[in-house]
Parts: sequence; structure tokens; C-alpha cells
Amino acid sequence: MKLKRFLLRYYPPGIILEYEQGGVLKTKSIDLLDLSPTTNIDQVVEEITQKEPLITPSKVEQVKKLVARLQEKIGQKEDHQFYLFKVLRAHILPLTNVAFNKSGSSFITGSYDRTCKVWDTSSGEEIHTLDGHRNVVYAISFNNPYGDKIVTGSFDKTCRIWSSESGKCFHVYKGHTAEIVCVSFNPQSTLIATGSMDTSCRIWDVEKGTDIANLTGHTGEIISLSFSSTGSELITASFDHTVSLWDVRSHKRIHTLVGHKAEISSAQFNWDCSLIATGSMDGTCKLWDRASGRCTATLKAHADEILDVGFDCTGQRILTASADNTACCYNALTNQQISKFLGHEGEISKITFNPQGTLVMTASADKTARLWDPETGECKQVLEGHTDEIFSCAFNYEGTTIITGSKDNTCRVWR
Amino acid sequence: MGLLSLLRKLRSNPDLELRILLLGLDNAGKTTLLKVLASEDITHITPTQGFNIKSVQSKGFKLNVWDIGGQRKIRPYWKNYFENTDLLIYVIDSADRKRFEETGEELTELLEEEKLAGVPVLIFANKQDLLTSAKASEIAEGLNLNSIRDREWQIQACSAVSGEGIKEGVEWMTKTCNNRKK
Repeated sequence: MKLKRFLLRYYPPGIILEYEQGGVLKTKSIDLLDLSPTTNIDQVVEEITQKEPLITPSKVEQVKKLVARLQEKIGQKEDHQFYLFKVLRAHILPLTNVAFNKSGSSFITGSYDRTCKVWDTSSGEEIHTLDGHRNVVYAISFNNPYGDKIVTGSFDKTCRIWSSESGKCFHVYKGHTAEIVCVSFNPQSTLIATGSMDTSCRIWDVEKGTDIANLTGHTGEIISLSFSSTGSELITASFDHTVSLWDVRSHKRIHTLVGHKAEISSAQFNWDCSLIATGSMDGTCKLWDRASGRCTATLKAHADEILDVGFDCTGQRILTASADNTACCYNALTNQQISKFLGHEGEISKITFNPQGTLVMTASADKTARLWDPETGECKQVLEGHTDEIFSCAFNYEGTTIITGSKDNTCRVWR
Repeated sequence: MGLLSLLRKLRSNPDLELRILLLGLDNAGKTTLLKVLASEDITHITPTQGFNIKSVQSKGFKLNVWDIGGQRKIRPYWKNYFENTDLLIYVIDSADRKRFEETGEELTELLEEEKLAGVPVLIFANKQDLLTSAKASEIAEGLNLNSIRDREWQIQACSAVSGEGIKEGVEWMTKTCNNRKK
């Protein structure tokens, strides 16, 4: 084994080792999820060298510098005030979902008008219209971090993969017998998973355009799915009140998470995939141990349905958004509530941390998106201007740009 | 509402839920009618850019009514909503005589749509509260409704503003769907 070079990852903090083994270039990551601006660097590096044979004594000084760089980045005090940068009359009918590429230089919008559009963030110009679906384009995603491909899932029961550079359609994936409502690339960008109202989840080959597996077992519609950060596992959330954990390679179901008393609205892994958080129409959020499939906690802070859940990038805090117009932040270790976000005058349908974990964004039926301090619950900013409810919102990787998509047919860019 | 509730409305529950499509020219009064069906306030209604969905309970049925904007530039998108429709409501502004021909043409095109084949149609001759409005019988004759033989149909005089005729229309819908389910 020979170490070739180091790569830094800011969110979540980590150092990626690129090394050669038997003539093949490989990578492995050292996660520093607990790193804080006050952590003792020497101690951290000592722990790393003990565990990691690739870090030889001659590399120690270099690793110390890298850890210091990460610390500096984490310690940066962000007090960015966002302003409305552009209003894009994006579509002729309401928008569904929105998504950024990794750098935030371009983003995509899906719509009821059957198209997905690719936009240049800084100029606000439309780069491509991805035209071909015969019904609502509901679920969309870039293959981040690469960003050269886009996947779209439609109510026309098909999924398409496109070049983000040329706008050309590479493949049309047919097989589902009802609307496709969630899509995702695996982290390696070799596979696509799609979830459908037909209760099945399918896995497809990106390169060949072929069907690899049909994951069946749910008795209700699948409305959310996500890959683990290594891509070896997949979770699917269903209206049948359960969440399933699948092995991506063998296509076998590893666990079924049973316990919610109503439909699931969202399911997410934390970064190291030790935990799964699920939100349900039964008004609770549950945490599950990924290895055993057992429920470890039930968070009951809401008076109505939970519509979205999310972790911060290190997996240390959890967010819940509810139809009761409030949202909450919890410590993922102790399950104690850290803060509650009060102020929205309508259902909160989306919630997310910025990649830095210093801000929380919520999107609501009250036509606003709001930014909150996760530690105090204080509302830092109200993003006003949409004339109808906001369906979707996203941060870019740097956390410096926001897009919001609304039922009012427009998309707004905030910087 | 959020995207999630769109998915919940999409769920098929054929025994109890009916998917109803509400169409017609712009300014026919579709959104006003929808709000009256859902017993909501109708004082502030603006042209519909996209769509509105409301669920109405009636006689053991859950009526999921999809109101799609009627402006000319949006009409090509009506077809996105045709699939799985149980019943079509077509709204006509009975006082807008100048556009009877246009509304007739749109209706004829809808009735020729393959995805709407055999779907019962209820035509609301709306705005009967206006003095200049045409009678339902006049409209039926003008649109040659008697030539419709491939489906059940009904024309109902109504005024969404006064509420007159709405109840009768809903009764016809549930009766028709009841017969079909049997």
C-alpha cells in the first residue's frame, strides 16, 4: 500500500486518503465528525496515526496542517444575510422539486409542465430544458459530487437520465407500473434507485441503461428513499407505515422498521449510517439502530403530522418539520430537544441544515422560507416574496446560495 | 399542502374516492365553484395559474376535485390530468355569449380524448344570477349536447355565487358514480 495524496472534505469534516494497492488506485476516508475549533490537534493526529497505518511518522506534520485547515473552516463565523438575487419565471405550471449541483454553479427545477430545466445560478439563465416526459416531473437529482448527469422521475412511470452539459437524454428506464416519486444516484454514480406509487423500488444501471433489481415487499406506496454514504445500503419509506433497509448488492431486505402508527413521510441515514431517522403522519419521529433494526427513541414534540426529517452533516443533530407549523432540533445522542422553531403561519413541508450545520432552513405553506439558529431557535431571516406555498428549498454545498421552488410557478435564488 | 399531500391525493382508493376534473374556459367560475363545493369563502378569487385541489365529502364518497386553470396558454396542459378521471365537470359562463363557440369547441375536443372515453360529464351552466345569462336548455341546444351518446351527461343550471343548483349537481355526480361502481 502506498499513499499517493490527501484530499480534504469540509462537510462533514474528514481527510480522504488516496492510495495505491496492487496497482489499483483506491480511497478511504478518515471521518473527524467530532472535530471542533477547540479540539487539541496533536491528540487528534495521534489517534489517527495509531489507527491508520498509511499515516507514517513522515506524514504527521502534513496531517496536522490539514486538521488545522478543517478546524479553521469549522470555526468560521457565518453571519451571512441572504437577499433576493433573482426571480425566475421558471415554468408555466407549479414547480415540484429543486436541486443544486455540488458547486452550486447550476441547479435544476422539476415541474407540472412535464419538463425539468437546468439553470445557471449566477446569470439566472436557462441552460437546457429536459423535454420528453409525458407527465409531471416530480423527483430530480444531480449525480453529485460529479454533477455531469441528472436523473428525473415522472408521473408518466418512467425515469430518465440526462447529460447536464448537453441536455441530451441518455436512457429512458421503463418498468414501474405507477408514478415515480423519488429518485437517487448511489454515491459512486453507477446506479439509480427509484421509488414508486406501485409499491416497488427499482435499481437501474447508469451506464447500460438496464434494469438491475426490483425490490418488492412494501404493501404501500414508496415516497422517499436514500442510499447510505458508502452506497452499500438503501432505505425506502412507505405509506404502509414501515421503512425497509436493503442490501444494494444482494437486493435482500436486511430489516423492516416497524412501529409507526401511520404513513411515513421521510427517512434519512446519519453520516456514518449508525442511525436512521423516520418521520410519520402519526406525529412522531423515531430513531432506529441501523445494525439491529431496533427503535431506540421516539421523539414526540409535535401536535400534528411530521412532514420531513433531516440530520446535520455530521449526524449529531436531528430536525423535524410538522403540519403543526413548528419545527424542532434535537441532539441525536441524548435525544434531548435543543430548540423549537416558532413563527410559521402554515404547515412546514421541508426542513434542512446548511452543510456547515450553522443554519436551519424551513419551507412552508405560508409562502415563506425561514432561516433559524439551530442552537437558540431564533429566527434569523424570513425569505419573503413567493405568492403561493413553497414546495422545495435547497442550499448549495458552500451554504452561500439558496433556491426555493413554489406552487406560484417561480423559482427564487437568494444569496 | 406541500408535495406530500399531492402524493396522498394520488393514492388509489377506488372504493371510496372519486377523482373529479373541473375544466372550462378562463373566467367560467371553476375556482369559485370549487370553493363553494368545499364550503369556503369566495370573496377573493384570482385567475388560476396552475391548479387547485380540494376534497369534498358527500354521501359516502370522497370527491377529490382538481381545478385546472382555463387560460388559453394553460389548456394544452389539461391532458396531463386526464388519467384515472372518474367524472368530468365542465363549467360554462352562461352570460358570456360571445364565447359559446369557443367553449363548445373545447368541450368537443375533451369528449374526443381517448383517456376521457366514457367518463360521465356534468356541465354547469354557471352565472345564472346574471340577467344576461342564457338558460341551460338554450346552451344544451347550442352545444348540441343531445348528440352525446357514448357516456352519461347532465347539464345543470347554477350560480356558484348564490349557491343555487350546486346541490343538484353534486347529487347527480354521486348518483352516477354509485351506479357505475355497482
